[in-house]
Amino acid sequence: MTDPTAASSGTSSVGGRVTRHAAVDRAFHWVTAACVLTLMATAFLPILGLTFDWIGIHWITGLVLIAAVLFHLLRVLLKQGFGAMWIGGRDFGDAAAIVKATLQRDAGSVRKPGKYSFAQKLIHHAFALVVLTGVGTGGAMLVRIDTPWWKRNPYLLSDATWGVVYVLHGLAALTLITMVMLHIYFALRPEKLLFTRAMLRGWITRAEYSEHHDPQRWQVER
Amino acid sequence: MELFRVSRDVYGREVLQGMSWDLIWVFFAVGCALIVGHALYRLLLAPKRR
Repeated sequence: MTDPTAASSGTSSVGGRVTRHAAVDRAFHWVTAACVLTLMATAFLPILGLTFDWIGIHWITGLVLIAAVLFHLLRVLLKQGFGAMWIGGRDFGDAAAIVKATLQRDAGSVRKPGKYSFAQKLIHHAFALVVLTGVGTGGAMLVRIDTPWWKRNPYLLSDATWGVVYVLHGLAALTLITMVMLHIYFALRPEKLLFTRAMLRGWITRAEYSEHHDPQRWQVER
Repeated sequence: MELFRVSRDVYGREVLQGMSWDLIWVFFAVGCALIVGHALYRLLLAPKRR
């Protein structure tokens, strides 16, 4: 069976390079990254004692993030499909093989992944869950502030319900501290730099493609 | 260490205000621990990739 990645990745191979991320997907990644880092800075720096007028930067950046997430969702629904990031039975087989190889200290028994490894799919879904929680609750909290488009209405929900919204928003923000740290750490690890370069410039070399990916599970146009 | 921030409304009832910001350091420490743990594992224990 062919991995769904092959059919939906929209990748190509030109001049010894394999396109891993289209420019529009890279732009989405970096816009999202800039938004998340700005939101975290404007949320946590005032708490840590660096006081400044953070609320305007925070909600405007939140709107940009909501727009970026909606764009990404539409692109997935209308063009990319869910195949590349779908976690199926073979991924669980990969995960079991990774656990076994880790315990037995034998990396040679782990099968090469398709376009995305099990770990990459997991971190994508974790970020999706946390960011969607953040933008969902943050979007609701926008009704509590005055903007050029609407006046604040703090009575839309009960105090108890707002409390739950605040807890979920805060939990998403706190979780992002750990997740962003890990994401940056893995992006900077020497063996992962090819993926970081691909997120910057779009491509991996054909040698990297052969070394790190199963061509049956990630088929690229030649 | 508290998990949540709470206040009281005009009737004296407890109202949830959100997560406790003391937890910032907990999540930061967990991130540091996972990074150091993984780096040490890769350095000392992980099998060399073929």
